[in-house]
Amino acid sequence: MSIDTQTTFKPKIIVFACNWCSYAAADLAGLNHYEYPADVRIIRTPCSGRMDPMLVLRAFNRGADGVLLSG
Amino acid sequence: MVAVAQHPNIELITLAEVVKVTGYIGNFNVTIKKKAKYVDWDLCNGCGTCIDKCPTKKIKDEFDFGMGLRPAIHKLFPQAVPGKPYIDPLNCTKLTKDKCGICEKVCPTGAIRYNDVDQLVTEEVGAIVMATGYDSFNWQDAYGEYGYGKYPDVISGLEFERLVSAGGPTQGKILRPSDGKEPKHIAFIKCVGSRDDTKGKSYCSRACCMYTAKHAYQVKTKIEDSEAYVFYMDVRTAGKNYEEFYQRALNAGAKYIRGRVSKIYPRGDKLILKTEDTLMGMALEVEADMVVLATAMVPAAGAVQLAKTIGFSVDKDGFFQEAHPKLQPVETFTAGVYLAGTCQGPKDIPDTVAQASGAAVKVCGMFSKNELVTEAMVSEVDISKCSGCGLCVPICPYGAISLQEINERGGHGHGPFTRQIAEINSSLCQGCGACLPACRTTALNLKGFTNDQLVSEVDALCL
Amino acid sequence: MKKRVGVFVCECGTNIAATVDTQQVAEYAKTLPGVVYATNYKYMCSDPGQELIRTAIKEQNLEQVVVASCSPRMHEKTFRNAVEGGGINGYMFEMVNIREQNSWVHHDRQEATKKAEDLVRMGVAKVLRNQPLKISTIPVTKRAMVIGGGIAGMQAALDIAEAGHRVILVEKEASIGGKMTQLDKTFPTMDCAA
Repeated sequence: MSIDTQTTFKPKIIVFACNWCSYAAADLAGLNHYEYPADVRIIRTPCSGRMDPMLVLRAFNRGADGVLLSG
Repeated sequence: MVAVAQHPNIELITLAEVVKVTGYIGNFNVTIKKKAKYVDWDLCNGCGTCIDKCPTKKIKDEFDFGMGLRPAIHKLFPQAVPGKPYIDPLNCTKLTKDKCGICEKVCPTGAIRYNDVDQLVTEEVGAIVMATGYDSFNWQDAYGEYGYGKYPDVISGLEFERLVSAGGPTQGKILRPSDGKEPKHIAFIKCVGSRDDTKGKSYCSRACCMYTAKHAYQVKTKIEDSEAYVFYMDVRTAGKNYEEFYQRALNAGAKYIRGRVSKIYPRGDKLILKTEDTLMGMALEVEADMVVLATAMVPAAGAVQLAKTIGFSVDKDGFFQEAHPKLQPVETFTAGVYLAGTCQGPKDIPDTVAQASGAAVKVCGMFSKNELVTEAMVSEVDISKCSGCGLCVPICPYGAISLQEINERGGHGHGPFTRQIAEINSSLCQGCGACLPACRTTALNLKGFTNDQLVSEVDALCL
Repeated sequence: MKKRVGVFVCECGTNIAATVDTQQVAEYAKTLPGVVYATNYKYMCSDPGQELIRTAIKEQNLEQVVVASCSPRMHEKTFRNAVEGGGINGYMFEMVNIREQNSWVHHDRQEATKKAEDLVRMGVAKVLRNQPLKISTIPVTKRAMVIGGGIAGMQAALDIAEAGHRVILVEKEASIGGKMTQLDKTFPTMDCAA
């Protein structure tokens, strides 16, 4: 698995990942050494139900180029 | 069954249902309604004289789906555990018309109690295992093409089980319910209610392929010169020794025909099945003496209500929802409540037994501790901010939030007053934080994942 | 709450160190507000690694701890215990994932190191807002209720009873056994159901 990294644009992507599924899946991607661009920063949440729209807006407000909610 | 009744650690409460559950993991209070039996089981020695002497003998036996008869005082079936009789209050002439009273006269131990009433008892328990099982899909309401149940020789798989059982109404002889003759040609239709989005359920009921193979095999071995036609969509035999068993039915001479039956109608004393053979690509008309429908498994009547009473969730079909489909198949979202068997989803006997043992281990694991540690990262309420709007209450999947009244001293020209606030039961809260986005006044916060903490993480990353 | 954060960057042998410059990350951590101590070590979860944390808490009077290593799903409990061993509340601790979600999925050393620095910054920002939390306990009534007396209920009740606990088995019909009692022989062994 690989994603095209031959681009000069370095986005700032904030991911909110549920501890029980998506965060664990990101760990699993690591265990399998699946490579992906280093522009992703994962914030662990206890559950996707914890996500407040305020947090998404905050990320954009502070200059994030993309926000991924996963759970 | 007898092992259960004889076990010194097991207390059996039959003819009973759960009406109320309060508390939380380790500390549940369960209220049970014990229905009136009209027989004192402590005195009854199970001799059965009352059953023999009861003059009201012609009641259709529900256990045999009305194919046999029973008296008003009876056991569910002869080998019932506990092996003691009870009175069916709707059919007993003593209870309905105050006439008769024979059972009281013949009872050698004086155990009959016509004035018996339902009783409520409350039990304290630390864990609950749900094992409420399944019901057969009510095909009579959905399948008009199979006669809505008006042809007596179109029966369900469970009815066939009674016909073929040595303890059944025919002592194990396969006989037609309509005229008591032995059928020679028997058709089996699989997936009646299963895998049928339009009339039934979308899911596969998992056990039907195998029990239909068993039925076909039994027809071929019990009735001479018989034919067993099995109409199927797929044959699913995923299980140890299952494919081999299916082959055994084929080798015994069962005829498997891939196709759905579109209509059943009578011709003389036969039933005609209009169908197709999709492998041959041709329409078929098959004559049968009896038709057996492999009906879907659906949740037991009252299961959804019971889940509500206890406080855990059900899936779209009304089966009890496990906490995780792969990793937590016996847990529910409510800590301390575990699942076993078909109440969680259709499954066969080996899977049921395995899941039940799994649930038992979860309970024993919990009981191995004297105290349970509660989650430290739970929600908390800032009562100075809480407006008591209650929006968080239905959001909580664990039922951990309730509204409470508190007294305020007043001030600024107001006297003392009471107001509502949300209160978190930290034993029930699992720390998911789903209540936070629902809170309009930010009175709710989740310890360890506070708004402040998550905002600071976002800010730090976006620096 | 005093703000004295210690940051511990794990090399995980070469699992992290091959892709992330852990020394540079530790040096960077020292520049963050609130951080008074930062170091890197080969195996932070090992006994000497945990001892390093406990000693630093005492010697540097640390109030908060950030460990940058593997996934918290792996070793959060280990380090929480180590932090408590050092004498501060186990919840005054955050873990930063620079292995599963960094060194194992990126190969550009510069980018991975930069990401590790960002994640450590995130962890420090969060831990500064942590509060000591208390674990409470509740008693257990060692008695189970099984609702439904079919195959599943009987099996569960027997297993729990065999383990030595009291079980109340509630059945809505007058007999236990459930649907099984209505069945004749059962597949695939064709033995009797009762």
